[in-house]
Amino acid sequence: MTTLALRSLRHRPTTVVATLVAVLLGTALMASFATLVESAFDAHDDDREILMIIGGVVGGWGTLIVLFAVASTVGIVAEQRAGEAALLRTIGATPRQARALIVIEAAVVALVAAAGGALIASLGGVALFDALQRATIVTRATDYDGGPASLLTTAGVVVLVSTVAAMLGSRRATRGPAGIALRAAEVPGRRLRGWRALAGAVLVAGGLASAIVTVTITGKSTDPYAAMQTSGSAAVVTGVGLATLAPWLLRLLATPLRPLLGRTGAGYLAAENLTRRAHLLAGLLAPVIVLVSTAVGTLLMVGVDARTRAAIGDPEGVGDMITMLNCVVVGVISLFAAIMVVNSAVAVVAHRRHELDRIWRVGATRAQLRGSIALEAGVVATIGVVIGLLGSTATAVPYSVVRHEGVVPNGQLWLPPLVATIALVLTVGAAWAAQRRSGPPADAAGRRRATRGPLVAVAR
Amino acid sequence: MVHDTPALAVEGLRKRYGSGAGAVDALVGIDLAFPRGTFTAIMGPSGSGKSTFLACVAGLDRPTAGRILLDGIDVTDGDETARTRMRRDRIGFVFQDFSLIPYLTAAENVALPARLAGRRLAPETVRQALTRVGLADRAGHLPSALSGGQQQRVAIARALVTQPAVLLADEPTGALDSATAREVLGMLRAAVDEVGQTTVMVTHDPVAASYADTVVFLVDGRVAGRMTNPNADAVAAQLAHLDQLVGVAR
Repeated sequence: MTTLALRSLRHRPTTVVATLVAVLLGTALMASFATLVESAFDAHDDDREILMIIGGVVGGWGTLIVLFAVASTVGIVAEQRAGEAALLRTIGATPRQARALIVIEAAVVALVAAAGGALIASLGGVALFDALQRATIVTRATDYDGGPASLLTTAGVVVLVSTVAAMLGSRRATRGPAGIALRAAEVPGRRLRGWRALAGAVLVAGGLASAIVTVTITGKSTDPYAAMQTSGSAAVVTGVGLATLAPWLLRLLATPLRPLLGRTGAGYLAAENLTRRAHLLAGLLAPVIVLVSTAVGTLLMVGVDARTRAAIGDPEGVGDMITMLNCVVVGVISLFAAIMVVNSAVAVVAHRRHELDRIWRVGATRAQLRGSIALEAGVVATIGVVIGLLGSTATAVPYSVVRHEGVVPNGQLWLPPLVATIALVLTVGAAWAAQRRSGPPADAAGRRRATRGPLVAVAR
Repeated sequence: MVHDTPALAVEGLRKRYGSGAGAVDALVGIDLAFPRGTFTAIMGPSGSGKSTFLACVAGLDRPTAGRILLDGIDVTDGDETARTRMRRDRIGFVFQDFSLIPYLTAAENVALPARLAGRRLAPETVRQALTRVGLADRAGHLPSALSGGQQQRVAIARALVTQPAVLLADEPTGALDSATAREVLGMLRAAVDEVGQTTVMVTHDPVAASYADTVVFLVDGRVAGRMTNPNADAVAAQLAHLDQLVGVAR
């Protein structure tokens, strides 16, 4: 199975690259901040706390998002192997062997990418530490002390999470008898799994609880930044929670759009795909929600803080640094969410190559196929923006209330439309680019590739 | 429309893949006419060009030279979109792999070509099409819940619902067991006998070919012979003979 797994890897560069990029960048980011925590142990007393905070808080949020990204990418890739897993099983592989193939592949890719990421972080950690010293956030009394402990721990965690995600995905890919699995290489209309619904509900509830605590308890604290500690995370947690519920939310919100979309051929295809295969497109919806929720929520909070800092007083003089930290967190999360959007768009469209070819043969023009993909991405992005903005209020509204700006912050109202536009352009752009690269009508099932001119003949 | 115009005719049809030294001639000048209401089987060894022929006629591929006449009208020229429209509106195609869309129900699959053309078929029309292939009670099922034979019958209903000028079938029984294959072939035969559906089927199975009125044999991209009122034994014997003729060792 290991040999087969390695050979199989060479035949799916797109999906390998998707996993590779997510794991590589994820490990690089996480491990860079982890080295700060390691440095904190032997740091000068003045620096220990700040290193712990930067490494722990920024690294912690980054870790959450990175693990989410890695798990979702690996999960999508593993689940898309259902057809191949079924094929292997019909020629005698046990479900366990078919799963092993998927898991070994994911583990090998994750291992290589995590090792690369740790290597990058060994340089990135030094650079980060250096930057903090130059910004006089960390004194010269402390030396950089990141090493194998933090780097390898981080890489290990990422590999572990990737492998577990692949295991979960592979179980979905090998469910049911082999023959049926081959015929129904994809099981449509799968329901949201119980544990996933529960996790999503718990996260959303957690985010809302933070929001309530912000207004009722920490907002009344004498420490001006107590409120930020509870409210800053609310939008991230709520966003991740809503993203976990993405398949269900997509089906719920796209269904009313069906009559509207169904007027044209392309719209009809998009509408059917959006509602019937929400579980597939949810992989694209989830990062859009996280991106919008986090970016809008946190940046509005930073804006409120900047406007009201003078009034509230900044006894410890830490306001600027907190703003910087917040921006770093938003940067890390947004970057990752953006990578995930692109990753998912490529994975989802590449996976559909065979089906798009089929629809073309049945009578869809290329323009209709392209149109349907663009429409799908547009609807997904729009729904993601709406849900994401909803999630962002978990941070923005309580913090604005606490700082006496009312329910709606007094400034920066250009921010939500800006983030929404970026999310839309990114999603539709990624889907469009993926579609141009890998279909519609491209070669399905070993047919000759035709980049221009007539599409290649029906299989013999 | 003049009644003696063939439903489908090809003149001097050629198809070359690639260029230069590596070029492969899949079709080297085919002239054939398929009269209305006839059922023709196209046979030949692997690589004889039979699937390429069908792909060219259906507009799935562009011939290098020659003309394709559908109801006497030249449909050879035109870009990719024009050929797609022609296929959607005038041709019914049954594929070996059924080519059903996995997330659409049987009824929605049948109605899909019309939807893509911006039309909605009356539910009654779709129901009748499914009834004709014996699947009225499966209209709401997804392909994954249907057997291979049932899926191919849905595909036949989809191909026939638009009342195409020609029904093209590419190894329609290639993925089916022999009992199910007979069922599907019986359905194609019935469409010819009952509504005069002109049908062209590519197959390598002599039993399948015996359902046709005429068998056309292709070898190396040329028409090598034909047989009317075929039976399975005669077709098999002829095929073996063709193989010897072109020196194909099997």
